[in-house]
This record gives sequence, structure tokens and C-alpha cells, in this order.
Amino acid sequence: MSEHHITPLKTYLVIAGALFCLTAVTVWVSYFDFGSFNIIIAMGVATFKATLVALFFMHLLWDDKKNLTMFIMSLMFLGIFITVTLLDTGFRGGVNPEVEYPINKRAAFYDSLPLTDTHGNPVDEHGIDSHEGDEDHH
Amino acid sequence: MAENQKQNYLTHPKGIMSWLLTLDHKRIGLMYLLGGIIFFFLGGLLALGMRLELAAPGNDFMSNETYNNVYTLHGAIMIFLFIIPAIPGALGNMLLPLMLGAKDVAFPRLNLASFYIYTLGALFVVYTIISGGVDTGWTFYTPYSTTSTSNVIPMTMGIFIIGFSSILTGLNFIATIHKMRIPGLTWYKLPLFVWALYGTSLVQITATPVIAITMVLLILERLLGIGIFDPALGGDPVLYQHFFWFYSHPAVYIMILPAFGIISEIIPVHSRKKIWGYKFIAFSTLSIAFIGFLVWGHHMFTSGQSVFSQIVFSFITYFVGIPTGVKIFSWILTMYKGQVSFTPPMLYALSFLFLFTIGGLTGIFLGAVALDIHLHDTYFVVAHFHYVMQGGTIIAFLGGLHHWWPKTMGTMYNQTVASICCLGVFLGFNGTFFPQFLLGLRGMPRRYATYDPQYAELHNYSSFWSGILGLSIFIAIMNLLWSLRKSNKLDPGTNPWGAMTLEWTHTSSPPHPHNFEKDPVLEHGPYDYDKVVVEPTFKK
Repeated sequence: MSEHHITPLKTYLVIAGALFCLTAVTVWVSYFDFGSFNIIIAMGVATFKATLVALFFMHLLWDDKKNLTMFIMSLMFLGIFITVTLLDTGFRGGVNPEVEYPINKRAAFYDSLPLTDTHGNPVDEHGIDSHEGDEDHH
Repeated sequence: MAENQKQNYLTHPKGIMSWLLTLDHKRIGLMYLLGGIIFFFLGGLLALGMRLELAAPGNDFMSNETYNNVYTLHGAIMIFLFIIPAIPGALGNMLLPLMLGAKDVAFPRLNLASFYIYTLGALFVVYTIISGGVDTGWTFYTPYSTTSTSNVIPMTMGIFIIGFSSILTGLNFIATIHKMRIPGLTWYKLPLFVWALYGTSLVQITATPVIAITMVLLILERLLGIGIFDPALGGDPVLYQHFFWFYSHPAVYIMILPAFGIISEIIPVHSRKKIWGYKFIAFSTLSIAFIGFLVWGHHMFTSGQSVFSQIVFSFITYFVGIPTGVKIFSWILTMYKGQVSFTPPMLYALSFLFLFTIGGLTGIFLGAVALDIHLHDTYFVVAHFHYVMQGGTIIAFLGGLHHWWPKTMGTMYNQTVASICCLGVFLGFNGTFFPQFLLGLRGMPRRYATYDPQYAELHNYSSFWSGILGLSIFIAIMNLLWSLRKSNKLDPGTNPWGAMTLEWTHTSSPPHPHNFEKDPVLEHGPYDYDKVVVEPTFKK
């Protein structure tokens, strides 16, 4: 068992400074739109900050490595749960293709076709057969 | 000193409070055993009630609503109040410190707390039963569980609470195994039951919080209408199944790994031969514990999860077969050319090998997506998990109980009666559950009180044998209790099977209140039958 580690105050201050800087980075990047990477960047910075806290403030860096192993394992199990569940929700289209590849009913292609109702029967311009939902054909 | 030798944990100290507030792992183990057996009895009665109803096609004995309550309570009680806590809580508590040469577990007060947390959770379950039951099935699937008018909240609260007992026991065992071994008792000299408890504890700590979260989310949705599982509120009902099975599949290994540990103890001792493939068995325990976390989706092949997930889960499911096969073959090879004696514990272990293998092999059917879609929610699944859970875990538990009974209670039961009961359990079990495979293949769905008359013959057969099964287990337990009469005391030095682990060689039967009268010194490994001769001693 490792003896109790005494961290110099300077280390704490440096880490605290780094955390403040990273908070500023989080705020700064929020002004840019990276599309689907927004969440990845935000979570990446947050994860890095959490790692700093765990290693230095929670002393995992100097502690018995079993504690670090336990900590990483718990994160790993959380990771397994979230990623594998996302394998389901992210790929549901395999069962329902219309979910994965939704038909864009406003696509230009549809303008060249005669107007039809939901059953494929032709309707006139003012829509004798038309009912709610048919505006999608235009 | 002579007076000191007469002391044992059962009689010293005396008084009801010395039991209720005890910090002694052996007494806590016995209290868990008592709790477990009470709920086993209750769950068993519910099962017999169901079989009685199913003996004939119509609603002869109970209404559909009552039947829904009965199967839900049977499942929930057997799983959460008996199988999960019974082996680690009763046999694990009783034996772990003895096997390590320790005076107690690492945190004795936490151990007592975990027993009372279990009791508190059990009270919630008892309240659920008294106040009208719950009818969702033991899995509490949404959306029904968020809309059912039965007592879902007290039941799920009970399970939430019992989960903490499980986590604390796991934590305690891990600390004990790391820190409380006597000098020289290195990892590869540990009895395999300890390895099994270690693997189980890891799963208990890492998986159980998820069932707690799941139950809380379910309660939040029911009480406050927060949309987590209800699509109308932006939730996803399949997400519930992900949450539930992320715990409950690893929980299958919380149930079966300690049973593997018991079998790994019984077989070498009663074959008087060194265990074959010690390290293989030890590491197969850990790999089962790990792989168990990656296969939960195989419970959800018809839930509407993505085809991609189905393929991944089905593929990974087959990996579980590798470490499990390693264990089965190692046990068979241990018996090969050994001096196998057909004592009651060994008969249970042999039944286990046979029944668990059937359970495991039918798991291969269910792990295949295409076949599972046909068999899902039929009696085939019911038969499969009873072969694994009852034919596996409960048979191993009964075997372990018979193996360590002389150690823990200091008396020997009638071995002929015990052997006959074991035969009765084996025949009764197969008679009850084998027809259910056929029923399932022919399309009989689970969880119905009535059925088409074409299934009547097999159901009738199953019900008849369930009576034999129930009776055999009842007599087996009565036989154990009957052995407790005073005239039946064994000599404290008794080692009836000639076992080599510390709990047999270094403590009296029943053990001293502080386990060992002097610090035990490790003289040989747990299964060194090729090096040392330990003769069975058995005298009154």
C-alpha cells in the first residue's frame, strides 16, 4: 500500500488554472457550429477536465493502482452500456428502412409527377380526394 | 482450553440479541440461509399453485388475474430473494473467511447491514403480496408496468433496496479476498469457490447499480410522468429492456457463478483427485463475468431492436459457451480415473452436470436469432432457464448445503434419505421441465393460465412431476433439519469427506466463534490429492 501522498499547493493551483482555462475553451467553442461534432468536442473537453480532477484532486495518480483500475473499469462498463445501446437506436433503420432513409416528399422529383393521394389515386389540382397530409406531395 | 474447544459459534454467545446484532459472518450466513429458505418455500408454493392450475386446460383453480400475480411473484421472489442472495449470502458468508483462514470478512458491520437491507427489501415484497400483488411479470417491462394498476412501486422499491444488499456483500467479499488471506495463500492456491465468489462480487458491484437506476426511472415515470420509456412523452420502451437486461443478464452469472464454485469444490473432494485445469477454471470464471456484460440484447430479439444489434448480440452470446465448456470438461476430467464416491453432495453435483449441460445447450438454440424469434416467449424459454437456474444453481446450492452441513451445523443427516431425495429431485425436475421444451416447440406461449387442449397431456405430465420435485426438495430440507437433534452431534474434528481446504482441516465442526483457535498455517493446496493424504474422519 502506498503511503499518503502530500501534493504541493502549486500543483493544485496549476490544475485549478487548467480547469478554468478549459471552461473558457468550452464556452469559446460553443460560438462555432461544428455540426454533429459539437457534442463530441464539448464532451471531449469535459472528459479531459474530469480526468484531471480524478487524477490530481482525487489523488488517483498517486494512489494504489487498484483504485485507478476500479475507476477505469466502472467507466468502461458505462461505456459498454451506452455504446452498445446506441448500436440499437442508431441502426433501427435495419428494421424500418423508412426510418433510416426517410422519403423527402419535398424533393424536386415529386414535382414532375401527377398529384396522387396516399393510395396512389390521381387527384386534381384542388384535390377532390385530397385530405390532410397531402400537402406533402407539392 | 478444553472448555474453549467445546465453544462453537452456534451456542456461544447465547441469547436472541446475540444473533440479531451478531457481527459473526457464520451467524449472518445462517440468517441469510433461513431467509433464503423461507422465500424458496414461498416461491415453490407459488410454482406448485401454477402447475396445479395448468394441469388442465381451463381456468379450474384461479382466474387469469390471479395467475398473472402468481407467476410474477414466483419469478421475482425466486430470483431476487432466493437465488441471487442465497449462495453468496448464505454459503459465501459462512465459508469465505474460513477458506481464507481469516477471523471474519473485511467489514463485519457492513455485512450485518447488508443482511438487514435484504430484510427491509424483503418486507417491501411481503407488503406487495399482502396488498394485492403485482401482475407485470418479474421483468416489469414497460409500457405495461407504467400503466398497470397493481403494486408495481412497492415491488420495484423492494428490488431497489435488495440491490444495495447485493452490492455491499460484493464489496465486502472483494475486500476480504484481497486483504484477509493468510500468508502463503496466494491467488492460485485459493479454493475455486473463492474465485467464483470473486467473479460474482465483481458482477454484483458493476451491474447491480443499473437495476437500481432502472427501478428508479420506472418509478419516476409512473409517479411523475417523466418521459423515459413512453414514446408519447419522448421516451423509448425498448430502452427499458436495455436497462433491465444490462443488469439482469449479468445477474444470471451472479446466480450461476457461485454454483460453479460449489461444483468445483464438490467434484475433486468426492473424487479424491486434484482438480483438472485449476487456472482454466479460475480464469473461465472471470471471462464469463466479463462476457456476461456484452450479451444482454439476446433477451430482446423480438423487441424491435436493430438487426445490427441482433447480429452483434447473437455472435457474442456464443462466446459464453467457451469458458462454460472449459469448466464442464475440466470437471469431467477431474472425475476421470478418480475414486468417485456417490455421496449425496456428489449426486447433486452429477445431476448438476447433466441438467446444466441441457440448459446450456438449449441456450444455443435461443442464442440464434432466427430460431429465437420462433421460440421467444414460449415454454421452450421457460424450460431453458429452469434447467440453468434450478437444474444448475438450485441443485448446486442443495449439493453445497449437503456438502458443508456437517461443517456448519456439526451434524450428519441421513445419507440414504438424502440420496433418495436427490434422485427424486432429479427425476421430478426432468419430468417437470423436459415436457416444457416440447410444449414450447409446439407453440405453447408462456404466462397464460389457460391453453388449447392439444397441450393438455404434456402439461398434465409436467404438473404431476412438479409434485414429486416439490416433495423431494421438502423432504431433503426436512432431512437436514431432522439431523439437528441433540443425539446426532458429530465429533468436532470430523471431516467426513476428507476435504483439504482450510475450513475442513483447521477448524472444528461447527467452527469456533473466532473461526480458528490458533492462526492456521497453510500446509498444502486445496486439491493436492496427488501429494497429501487426508483421510475422511466421521465419528459421533
